[in-house]
Amino acid sequence: MDCRKEGCAQPQDEDIMDIPLDDPAANKAATKIQAGFRGHMTRKKMKDDKPREEKQREKK
Amino acid sequence: MAPKKDAKKAEPAKKAEPAPAPAPAPAPEPAPAPAPAGVDLAAVKVEFTPDQLEDYKEAFGLFDRVGDNKVAYNQIADIMRALGQNPTNKEVKKILGNPSADDMANKRVEFEAFLPMLQFVVNSPNKASFEDYVEGLRVFDKEGNGTVMGAELRIVLSTLGEKMTEAEIDALMVGQEDENGCVNYEAFVKHILSV
Repeated sequence: MDCRKEGCAQPQDEDIMDIPLDDPAANKAATKIQAGFRGHMTRKKMKDDKPREEKQREKK
Repeated sequence: MAPKKDAKKAEPAKKAEPAPAPAPAPAPEPAPAPAPAGVDLAAVKVEFTPDQLEDYKEAFGLFDRVGDNKVAYNQIADIMRALGQNPTNKEVKKILGNPSADDMANKRVEFEAFLPMLQFVVNSPNKASFEDYVEGLRVFDKEGNGTVMGAELRIVLSTLGEKMTEAEIDALMVGQEDENGCVNYEAFVKHILSV
């Protein structure tokens, strides 16, 4: 099944084979990025949750 | 009569083991040091200001769902993230002494014990900069045009390193892909670093 959209090359099987699953440098880079992403998402979630809490306090 | 067993086993004299031959390091970055068995938290000097301690205590309190002024092992990483750090899951596990899955769910830590853990991460020299993230993502910029395929990034995030779940990736990528499914990764990283 060829899912090629115009102007958007979906990763084909060969591209997936390009992902360096065993490369320690690639994994290390990925881990660093993922750590940053997880940090960002946790902080964003805390920020998004805060206004709700403040609104609840104001109701009292 | 039962034969007497030696109280001590005769230990062979310890030979100084030859250090493993250092591998030549062609890579620009130094070879990673072998992970020590654990982290000596007692040796960590906690150096937070009173204002910081107040903030940290407040965040810590938000995570205490039980009301015992403690948090579970499996919440430690998130509290650190909430407080501006970006530890890897592996780093946190090492700080916690490589706990079992059971420990992660059931062991709890009080605030005073948490502080040296946080300090350790704060002191950690491996902080990733804007450049580090951009360089990391540039690896996947096949055309060298400043964009990566959103789909490819999703695959990388879910198959390499500390794999992310689909839900995590979806939350992360909200609004980042253009109409062609491409991500401008410098803008993406700026967005990530803004919170």
